[in-house]
Amino acid sequence: MNFSWGKIYSWINERVHLEDLVEFLGKKYVPIHRHSVWYYFGGVSLFLSIIQVVTGILLLLYYKSGEELAYESIQFIMSKVEFGWLIRSIHSWAANLFVLAAMIHMFSVYFGKAYRKPREMTWLTGMLMFFLALGFGFSGYLLPWNELAFFATKVGTDIAGVIPIIGKPIMIFLRGGEEVTGATLSRFFGFHVAVFPGIFTVLLGIHLILVQRQGMSEPLGLENTLGNEVKTIYGERSRTMPFFPNFLLRDLLLWLIVLNLLAILAVFFPWELGKKADLFAPAPAGIKPEWYFLFMFQTLKYLPAQLWIIDGEVFGILAFGLVGFLWMLVPFWDRKSSKGEKNRFINYIGIFIVMYIIILTILGWT
Amino acid sequence: MKTLSIIVLSFLVSLRVSSQQREDKCMSCHEVIGDNVAEMYKQDVHAHKGISCSGCHGGDPHMEEMEQAMAVEKGYIGVPKGDDISTVCAKCHSNAAIMVKEYNSILSRNQLEILQLSVHGKLSVSGKERIVQCTTCHGVHGIVSVKSPSSPVFPTHVPKTCAKCHSDAIFMRAYNPALPVDQLEKYHTSVHGMLNAKGDHKPAECVSCHGSHDIRSAKDAKSAVYPTNLPATCAKCHSNARYMKEYKIPSDQFKKYSVSVHGKALLEKGDIGAPACNDCHGNHAAVPPGTESISQVCGTCHSLNASLFASSPHKKAFDQKKLPECETCHGYHEIVSATDELLGVSPDAVCSRCHKENQNQKGFIVAKKMRELIDSLESSDRIATLLVSDAEQKGMEVSEARFKLRDVRQARLQSRTLVHSFNLEKFHEVLSNGLTITGVVKSQGQAAIDEYYFRRWGLGIATLIITVVAVSLYVTIRRIEKRQTRQE
Repeated sequence: MNFSWGKIYSWINERVHLEDLVEFLGKKYVPIHRHSVWYYFGGVSLFLSIIQVVTGILLLLYYKSGEELAYESIQFIMSKVEFGWLIRSIHSWAANLFVLAAMIHMFSVYFGKAYRKPREMTWLTGMLMFFLALGFGFSGYLLPWNELAFFATKVGTDIAGVIPIIGKPIMIFLRGGEEVTGATLSRFFGFHVAVFPGIFTVLLGIHLILVQRQGMSEPLGLENTLGNEVKTIYGERSRTMPFFPNFLLRDLLLWLIVLNLLAILAVFFPWELGKKADLFAPAPAGIKPEWYFLFMFQTLKYLPAQLWIIDGEVFGILAFGLVGFLWMLVPFWDRKSSKGEKNRFINYIGIFIVMYIIILTILGWT
Repeated sequence: MKTLSIIVLSFLVSLRVSSQQREDKCMSCHEVIGDNVAEMYKQDVHAHKGISCSGCHGGDPHMEEMEQAMAVEKGYIGVPKGDDISTVCAKCHSNAAIMVKEYNSILSRNQLEILQLSVHGKLSVSGKERIVQCTTCHGVHGIVSVKSPSSPVFPTHVPKTCAKCHSDAIFMRAYNPALPVDQLEKYHTSVHGMLNAKGDHKPAECVSCHGSHDIRSAKDAKSAVYPTNLPATCAKCHSNARYMKEYKIPSDQFKKYSVSVHGKALLEKGDIGAPACNDCHGNHAAVPPGTESISQVCGTCHSLNASLFASSPHKKAFDQKKLPECETCHGYHEIVSATDELLGVSPDAVCSRCHKENQNQKGFIVAKKMRELIDSLESSDRIATLLVSDAEQKGMEVSEARFKLRDVRQARLQSRTLVHSFNLEKFHEVLSNGLTITGVVKSQGQAAIDEYYFRRWGLGIATLIITVVAVSLYVTIRRIEKRQTRQE
């Protein structure tokens, strides 16, 4: 029997009319300009989230939630399960790279004003997914039930607890009681493997459908997209490339590079397990949250105990909440960009925030 | 000249008259009525210093009439009771102006303050006064200098003075039912006590170790007899070569003890489980342990070693030669941590002192074999530890192997204890167990290291494959785009 891709394609096409999809993909174009490189970070984020799902499912086969079992089960995965060490290290590294890629993707969209009409919903779903990614990170960090994770969760949930009125109930809800205990671990496990993935899948579906439906946003000023060279407001000539196969294959190429990077990180810098959490032990020195929470943690450390009439920590948390909320709603208050006009103010805010995050993260790290 | 003589004579006459006017009426009256207290007070150190009864009781000793002399308006307080007793003493004894300027005294002026902080300064069962007042130990009316052999706090009298309360079971029960009341009896059996009873005031009595005004509970870390402080307390006398000269005993015990395994544990690490002087010599009944009792003394802590030794063939041999058991091999005050070097037939090994190749040959063979076995376990343990550490350094998860190493340490510890049985068969059994565990650990450590290199190779191959696929993909993209450009 002669094997041929053509025959397989015909066989499937006969049943599900693949030609419609191919025709749709054939009409999709991706703009090419000096900022095109940022388009790839959406794809990288998607790839890393797929890796998280796959490695997460594999870890689920051996992971046991519970105060007495969690740490030991990770130890078992790391030492006894074939390639368990690799899967766990990749899961941990990919989680961090995912947050980084998503962050870069978010800022590239922000600076490119890609959130402007008609892509407000794409931005909103993206932002919600980003917050969920932080939730994934926070909840997943506790699951090995080691000393660092335990105290970081204690500090993290303590911070949530200082929010006026709703803080305490939120803290108790997150912890499953007054203190971080095995109940917190079970709760975080539930969030990490069931609640968050469910919501994330829905949001990702909407996000991808919107991207496919609306196409890639072009830098402000582009008038035409389909294959014609036009001048952007940056004064350059712009053209496009077919989504399939050009962009998709480039995406795949980058994914392979990321996969290579992940393998190197996992082998050369295996994710450490540390000491098992001891509920009665004093907190070790230098407790720090994951790097993506560090700028907020450091800000709270710098804030004075009392700021005017409000507690310094409460002020910091409320300020971060407000900034995050305004950030999420940027498509609705940046009217200029929606009208196709330049808005330097948005750029200045973005640059300030990026610099703030970088500097405070470095200060927190050192 | 005549005028000058008249002036001097007049001055002397006026002095005589003044002296008659200032006569101590307290003493004269109380002598007349035959009060024994007045007789006793004549011998009192305070009377010798010219202090009248009014010094403590108040009143005016120069008044003729009793009602006037003992009038409250004149400051008369009667017989002080409870804490007022010590307060009356402290009125002068805590006052530098009186003690130094008037009496040229060198006594410390914080005795009351220190007494109040001491275990005796606590409230008595009545809750109204402290347990001990100055007069409890120093007496009343007949108080003499502490340097006087008739003083109740002179070294030869101290034991009895303390025993007034401390040997009274009913009295002591009210304060500390757990505290024994046989200290004096024990003390009489001690070397210190026997010399003290002979009138030698130099050997230690209660105050020498426990302090005087500042006595604290033996459980108080500040007490001179708290385990970590006790060796230094004993050394106050025992390390003083001049002081100890007449007793013909060495004065280097503290120096030796300080560098011993026990001394380091107690004095450097603060491990109060480690023995201080009293744990081997006794405290109130302190004597040097005799040849026969040494193993019993050591055996109170090292019980397993002692019982193994007692059932070993060495027991009979040591008894016959009247050799002290533990001390023969380990020494006494300068006992150092027992290492494997003590065992075997090398010149440093203690076994070789008695067992030679041509003398006591059986013991020679056993000692040699035991040393070989213990060395092989040590070497195997070292290799296993190195392998595990190497694997750990490479980032491998080897906690199980690391945990098993504890069993090896346990086997080594057990083997060192079993040496005291001098039974090669038992010794071999424990050593074999240890060697089996080290074998498992070594293979786990080696497997982890092999796995580490496997991962490196695996990564290399995987990276190569991914890179080849990536390059092929890049070439494909370039080809497709070239074709598209040509088509355009």
